[in-house]
Amino acid sequence: MIDGPTIEIIHKYLLSAAEEMRRTLIRTAFNPVIYEVFDFGISVYDRDLNLMADAPGLAMFLGANDYAIVKVRDYIGKENLEDGDIIIMNYPYWNSAHTADVTLAAPVFAPGEKEPFAYTCIRAHWMDLGAKDPGYVLDSTEIHQEGLIMPGFKVVKAGKPDKQIFDLIRFNSRMPKNVIGDLEAQIAATRTGHARLRAIREKFGPEMFDAAVREILDYGEKVTLRELAKLPEGTWTAEDFLDDDGIGTDPIPVRVKVTVKKDRFVVDFSESGDATRGPINVPVGLTQTLGKVALKALTGPHAPTNAGSFRPLEVITRPGSLFHAEYPSATYTQWSAIASAELVFKALSQAIPEKLIASSGGDILGFMMVGNHHKTGRMFALSNNEGVGWGASATHDGLNATNHISSTMVRNTPVEVLEANSSMLIESMHLIQDSGGPGAHRGGLGQGRRIRFVGDGEFLSITKKSKTRPWGLDGGGEAEATGVYLFPGTDRAKRVGTYRTKVAVGDVIETRSGGGGGYGAPEKRDPKLVLEDVLDGYVSEQAARDIYRVAIRDGKLDEAATKALRA
Amino acid sequence: MGNCRIAVDIGGTFVDAVLFDADSGDIRLAKALTTPANPSEGVLNAIEKLDVDLADVSVIVHGTTLGLNAIIERRGAKTGLITNKGFRDILEIGRGNMPDGEMYNIHYQRPEPVVHRRAIGEVPVRLTADGEEIQPLDTAALVEVAESLIADNDLQSLAVSFLYSYLDSAQEQQAAAILRERFPDTVVSIASDIVREHREYERTCTAVLEAYIRPIFERYIDRIQAELKARNFKGMFLTMRSSGGAMTAAVAKRAPLHTVLSGPAGGIVGAAHLAGQLDRRLLLTLDYGGTSLDACVIADGNPNVVHETMLDIYPALLPVYDIRCIGAGGGSIAWSDEGLLKVGPRSAGAVPGPIAYDRGGLEPTTTDAAVTLGFLHPSSFTGGEISLNVEKARAGVKEHLADKMNLDAMGAAAGVFRVIAAQTVGALRQITVERGLDPKDFSIVGFGGAGPLIAPLIAIEMEISEAIIPRFPSVFSAWGMMTSDLMTDQSQTYIAELTPENLEAAEVHFKALEDSVTALLDEQHVERGQQQLLRRVDMRYLGQEHTLSVSLDGNPSIADLAERFHSLHFERYGHRIDEALEIVNLRVTGVGALNKPELQKMEGGVASGTVAAPVAERDAFCFVRNAPVSFKIHDRHALRPGHVVAGPAIIDEGTSSTVIYTGQTITVDDYGYLIIRSDKK
Repeated sequence: MIDGPTIEIIHKYLLSAAEEMRRTLIRTAFNPVIYEVFDFGISVYDRDLNLMADAPGLAMFLGANDYAIVKVRDYIGKENLEDGDIIIMNYPYWNSAHTADVTLAAPVFAPGEKEPFAYTCIRAHWMDLGAKDPGYVLDSTEIHQEGLIMPGFKVVKAGKPDKQIFDLIRFNSRMPKNVIGDLEAQIAATRTGHARLRAIREKFGPEMFDAAVREILDYGEKVTLRELAKLPEGTWTAEDFLDDDGIGTDPIPVRVKVTVKKDRFVVDFSESGDATRGPINVPVGLTQTLGKVALKALTGPHAPTNAGSFRPLEVITRPGSLFHAEYPSATYTQWSAIASAELVFKALSQAIPEKLIASSGGDILGFMMVGNHHKTGRMFALSNNEGVGWGASATHDGLNATNHISSTMVRNTPVEVLEANSSMLIESMHLIQDSGGPGAHRGGLGQGRRIRFVGDGEFLSITKKSKTRPWGLDGGGEAEATGVYLFPGTDRAKRVGTYRTKVAVGDVIETRSGGGGGYGAPEKRDPKLVLEDVLDGYVSEQAARDIYRVAIRDGKLDEAATKALRA
Repeated sequence: MGNCRIAVDIGGTFVDAVLFDADSGDIRLAKALTTPANPSEGVLNAIEKLDVDLADVSVIVHGTTLGLNAIIERRGAKTGLITNKGFRDILEIGRGNMPDGEMYNIHYQRPEPVVHRRAIGEVPVRLTADGEEIQPLDTAALVEVAESLIADNDLQSLAVSFLYSYLDSAQEQQAAAILRERFPDTVVSIASDIVREHREYERTCTAVLEAYIRPIFERYIDRIQAELKARNFKGMFLTMRSSGGAMTAAVAKRAPLHTVLSGPAGGIVGAAHLAGQLDRRLLLTLDYGGTSLDACVIADGNPNVVHETMLDIYPALLPVYDIRCIGAGGGSIAWSDEGLLKVGPRSAGAVPGPIAYDRGGLEPTTTDAAVTLGFLHPSSFTGGEISLNVEKARAGVKEHLADKMNLDAMGAAAGVFRVIAAQTVGALRQITVERGLDPKDFSIVGFGGAGPLIAPLIAIEMEISEAIIPRFPSVFSAWGMMTSDLMTDQSQTYIAELTPENLEAAEVHFKALEDSVTALLDEQHVERGQQQLLRRVDMRYLGQEHTLSVSLDGNPSIADLAERFHSLHFERYGHRIDEALEIVNLRVTGVGALNKPELQKMEGGVASGTVAAPVAERDAFCFVRNAPVSFKIHDRHALRPGHVVAGPAIIDEGTSSTVIYTGQTITVDDYGYLIIRSDKK
C-alpha cells in the first residue's frame, strides 16, 4: 500500500527527470528553433508505454510522442532492445509529424534486468534533412519529396553511436553540422533522463515505483473525469475551411464531431475530406494530439499531464483521409493540424460558450527567408512564428499578438537576430488597429510586419487560415484574417497565404497575422473600456463610433452622443 | 570614528540588522517590522534597536527589494517609452510566448503593463545590424513626441531604447541629451547606459524597468541618507547589488535596477565567504524564509552569475546571482488532491498565516506541519514574537490532510515535509545537473528562518554528506552583505569569430569597458592601486545561441582561451565539438576590496568531541526512523567549538531551529558553525 505523500514524491521526481532532460537539450542544441523557439517535446513513459510525465514544450509534439513511441517499439520489437540503445525516427505516419521533426526514443533498463522498465522520447525540429526545397516544403505531392526517411533504427547501439547512421544523416542534409549537433544534444538529453529514471527507481524500489506510476496515472484520470463531469452531455459538430492544400486553390473543409459524456470525450474527425494531393495531410497520431490539447485545455490546464489524463479520450479518424494520412501522402505543411486545434472548441462553444474563447487569428503565421547572407555569403534559413490575436471570452478580452494555442511556449525571433542572420530589414513590427473582433469583450489584435529585403533569396510564408475570418461568440464580431501582402504598391502586388517567392534587394513584403474573435455584442461593451482602447490605439475612433456605438471627442467620452448612438 | 559596521536586509516581513564591532568582535542583531508604505522607517527602526552611536559606524550596507516590489506591485513612476519608428509595440508583442505553466490555459490574461501603449512614442531613427546609420535621429520629431507623451500621460520618467544601441549608443545618447535639456523635470533612462547586449525586447524592458523604479529609488536613498545624517552617521552608505558587491548611494541612484535582487544576494555573498573560510569547493545554498525557498550553486567559491533574469513578467538583461526560487516559504498551503498530497503553490502568506499563528488561518501550511512534527517550540518561535497554537495546527493537519489520506496527523505532517524535500531535491538537481555537476559532491548551507530546519533533511534525501548551518542563520543575508566588496561591471556585445585579429579588435572595447569601470570605482573613492579589473568573454560554438562565460585571467593565448571554452563546455554538457568559436559578449568586472570584518574564532572552545549537554527533551518526528522519537533539545548559544551533538536533536536559537535525525551528528567548528554529517555506515 502506497500513501498519498509517496505517490506525490515519485510524481515530482518523474517530472523533475523530464525537466533535467529539457534543460540538457536547450543548453546543448545547435539550432535556434530548439533553443530559442522551444520547438521540441520531451516525454517519459512506463514499461507499457503509458506517459508518466512530460516537460513543457510544444503541445502538439508532446501528444505525438505517445503514438510514435508505440509504433517504433513495435517496429523494432521489444525483444531486440538492449540497454544503451537509442532509436531515431521521422517516418511521418508513425512519428506523427513532418520529416523535419526527428524523434529519439529509447528504452531504459535497470542493471541486470532483461526488459526495460521505462522509455524516453525526445522530439525536436531539425533544420534540414534533404527535402526537395531548403527551409520548408510547401508543395510536395508525396513523401519522397520531403527528405530522408528514418522508420526507426538504432543510432546508438548498446551505448555505442553508429557512425554509419551519423554519416547517412550528415550526407543527406544541407546543414550537416546543425543536424549532427542537434542529434548530439538529443542524445545527451536522453542519457540525462536515463540516469535519473534509474536512480529514482532504485531509490524507491521497483514495486513502490510501479505502484506509484499506477496511482499517478489514476490521478490523471480522476482529474480529467472530475472536470469532464462539469460539462454538459451531448454531441456537437463544427466545420471550418483551410485555405488550400498547397497545390490547388480550393478551400479544404475540415469537420469535427465532439461527443461529451460523463466519462467519455469523443472527437471524431472522420467526416473530414479525403487526403489531399498537397502536403497538408495529418498523421493519425497528430490528429489524436488535437483531441489531447483540447481536452487538456478544458479539464486541467494547470495539472501535469500523463496517460491517465487521456483515458477518457477517444479520437476517431478515417484511414486515408486528411486526418489519417497514409503512405505516400505528402505531410510537410501540417498547418492543417494547427488550424484545426480550435475546431473542437468551436463545436463545444454551442454548448458552453462561457467556458471557451472565440477563435484566435486561426493558426501560426510562419515566415522564413532562405538565401546566402548579403554580407557574409553564408547560407541561412531563418524563420519566425508570428503571434496572433486570441479570442475573447465571456469575462475577458483576447490577448494581443500571442503565439497560437498549439505552440504557446514558442517565442518569436528577435529583430536583431533576424536581421543579423538573414537579408531582411524589418521596417516595422506593430499591432494592427481594429484587427480584433469587436465585442462586449474585444478579440486580441493581430500583428503586422513590413519587411524590406537587403539581399536576394527566397521568402516563404505559411498559414492555412487566410481566406476565412476568425469567428466570434455570442454575438461577438469576426476579426481580420491573416494575410501576406507581396510587393505592395507594385504591379506584382498580391495577397497570399502559404507561398514561396523569390525576392530581390529592395523588395517589400508585409505580413499581417489575424486578430481574435469578439465575445458578446460590441454595443454592449462598457463605453469606458472603449475609450481606453481608443486612447491606447487598439480601436480607432471611427470603429468606436460605427461598431461599438461610442462617441469619443478629444480623448474624452461624449456620454450624451454615446447614449444617442446606442439608443 | 569607530570601527563598527552595520548591515541591513529588508525582507517581506522583517528588517534584519546586524552590527559588527571589528575592535571588540562584538556582534549584535536586531529585527523590526517592514514598513512597506515608508521603507526607510523600518530600516531606521532596526538600526535604532542595535543601540549604537552612529558616529562610531564606518559603513552601513543595505539590501533592499524596494525596486522589485515596486515593479511587482506596479507602484513605480508614471513611465513612458520612446523607440524607433515602426516599433511602438515592441514591449507588448515581446517574444509572443505565454509564461511557464500556462501552456494550455486559454484564459490566461497578462497583468497590467508597467507602461501603457498610449505612453509609448516612436521617432524616425535607425541603425542596421552592422551598426550603419540609415536614418539619423529626427530631433524635431523627438521633442514633439516627448512633449505630448509627457503632457498627455503626466509622465515622471521616460525610457529611450533604439534598435542596435548595443553596437552604437550615439543615437540614444543624443536623444537623452536633448530630452534632459528640454524636459529637466522628467527622469530619462537610456538602454545603452544600462546594457550593451543584443536582443531588443529584453534590452527595452531593462530600460523601461529602470525608468520605472528610478524616481522612487532616488527619493528613498535621499531620504534615508538625510535621516542617517541627522543621527550623526558620517560613514559610507552602501547598497548591495544583485550580483554581489556593493555600490555607493550616488552610483545606486543612477543604476537602481542593479539593486532589485540585492536582499537575497547578501546570503550568497555570505555563503561564498563561508566557502573560502571553510575551504569548501562546492556549496548549495538553501535560503528558506516566510515567503520563498531560494537556492544557488557556488562552485570554487564563485556563485553562479547569469546575465538575464525575469522581473515580474519582464525579462531584464542584468547580472544577477543565479538564485532560483524553488518553492514557496513557510506559508505554503498543503492540500489533498484526489488522494495525492500537494504543497503550494497557494500560500497563506503573513496574513492570515499558518493555522498555528491563530490569526484566522484555516488551511494547514508547512509551518503547521513543522509544529505538528514537534520541530518548533511553541513559545520561542521567531524569538517569541509569535506564539504557536500547537493543538489547532495539529487539528488542521488532521482534518484537511490526514483524514483525507488515511494517515494520522503525524504521518500527514511528515508527508508535507517529504513532498517539500522531493520538490527541493528535484530543483536542486536541475540547477546542478544543468552545470554538469553531481549534487552528491556538494555541501549544503541552510539559512533564513527555516533553512536550518530543512537543510539536514535535504542532505539525507539528496545523499549529500554535509550540511552547514552558519551562525545567526536567520539574519545571514544581512551578515553576508557585511562581507561585500565594492563592485561594478560593464558589458558589450561584440559578435565575431574567435580569431587573433578579432580578439585584437576586441581590445578597443575592453579598454572602453575598463575606462568606464575605473571611472565608477574612482567615483566611489577606490584608489587605483586597490582596483582589480577582471575580463571575461562570453563565447559559443559558431551556430549555437547559448554562451558560456570564460575568464581571461592570466591573459591566455588564443589557443588557451579556446581550450578553456572547450573544457568548460565538456564539463557542462559532456561533449566538445569540432567547430569554430564565436565571441558574443565582452565583460569587465571591477572590484574595490573593502576592509572586511573577519569572523573571529569563537572563544570558550571545549575538547574536541565533548558531548554537549541538552537542556530538555521533546518528542518529534524522525524521518530516518519514520516515527516520533525523543529528541534532545539544545540551546545554540550554549554550544562551543568542539561540542558534538548526535541526532535526533533540535538546536534551538530562538529565531530558528536546526533539526537533525538519527544517524546525523553535529560538530561545532572553531567559528561556531554547525557542521552536520551522516555517521559512517
